[in-house]
Amino acid sequence: MIKGLSGDGRAHAALLSEAASYLRGYFARRIGADAADLEDLVQETLLAIHLKRDTYDQSQLFTPWLYAIARYKLMDSFRRAGSRKTVPLDEADELFTTENPEEGAVRRDVGALLARLPARQRRLMEDVKITGLSMEEAAQKSGMSVTAVKVSVHRGMKRLQQEVSDEDL
Amino acid sequence: MKTSELIASLSAAVEPVPPMAVARRIVPALAAGGVVAFALLLVWLGLRPLDIAVHTRAFWMKGGYTLTLALGALMLVAALSRPGRSSRWAWVFIGAALVFVFSMAGMQLARTPASERMTMWLGETWNLCPFRIAAFSAPFLVGLIIAMRRLAPTRLAEAGAAAGLLAGALGATTYELFCQESAAAFVATWYTLGIVACAGVGAIVGARLLRW
Repeated sequence: MIKGLSGDGRAHAALLSEAASYLRGYFARRIGADAADLEDLVQETLLAIHLKRDTYDQSQLFTPWLYAIARYKLMDSFRRAGSRKTVPLDEADELFTTENPEEGAVRRDVGALLARLPARQRRLMEDVKITGLSMEEAAQKSGMSVTAVKVSVHRGMKRLQQEVSDEDL
Repeated sequence: MKTSELIASLSAAVEPVPPMAVARRIVPALAAGGVVAFALLLVWLGLRPLDIAVHTRAFWMKGGYTLTLALGALMLVAALSRPGRSSRWAWVFIGAALVFVFSMAGMQLARTPASERMTMWLGETWNLCPFRIAAFSAPFLVGLIIAMRRLAPTRLAEAGAAAGLLAGALGATTYELFCQESAAAFVATWYTLGIVACAGVGAIVGARLLRW
């Protein structure tokens, strides 16, 4: 995103495609995966992301910004739904790649949040929540007791939730 | 059009965007609004004798109230002009401004004999004040709405109300350069009424005009 903001076309394209798959998932969950105007909505939101990209504050997380625009476009489409005719899609086949939260921009946000935790707790969180180790495996790896790992991971989750709500969503 | 084509065309020539999007739009809007409001004041009502005014406590009390309110409202406007943002600090300033003016009003009224309280509260211009504040806030509100349309507010009524609050507080600050009312109870009631009315207008106007 930041590279795209400074005029790097390739980075911008990568960001938009990533956002597109995220948006498809987001809208599909709300209006149904085979809704006629799903792809219109995705395109409209991509256009909005492009046109309003200067309102993204680089010191903030990216996903809340994207999500707020998506929500706005969804509301906007509901508002106009009465008066607008839906145009059928010309290309409906390649649409349904699902959202993948592991991808770049989202992962960057997760990384930014994790970086706020103390190093040992961060490693445990990564092992258990991202790599997918069991509590026992993580305990073995870190040389801590299973209970201590559980407590630490639990506290880490709580702390992250706290941090996210403190982001002023 | 396919989404991939859209993406390709959007990324074909990406211009770098300058930073500080919000400040770049809001500051000129407020400056322009300020010039128009001040000119309106000079033409319509004129200034009160400011060399005397700056020695009165009431002048600074009123300025402190409306400018603190404006600061809080400005933070709200800045936050609500961008997707996914809100500002808790804004409410601290807005709350502080209200607590300040109402506690001043309470203390003044408590010191005043009951028979004079009504005169103090109504002053000489209570029935004009809210309308004049609304008039002076109009240029600010117009400027803010134009500026915010080019940003990306996602909660339109709230963003409009914040713009109205800011315009109202700045309109009131402009009007203070004329208005000689000095009682805190007057300010707490009639100034606040004018400002809140502006916020209401902002909410209604914003919900329609801030769409993008």
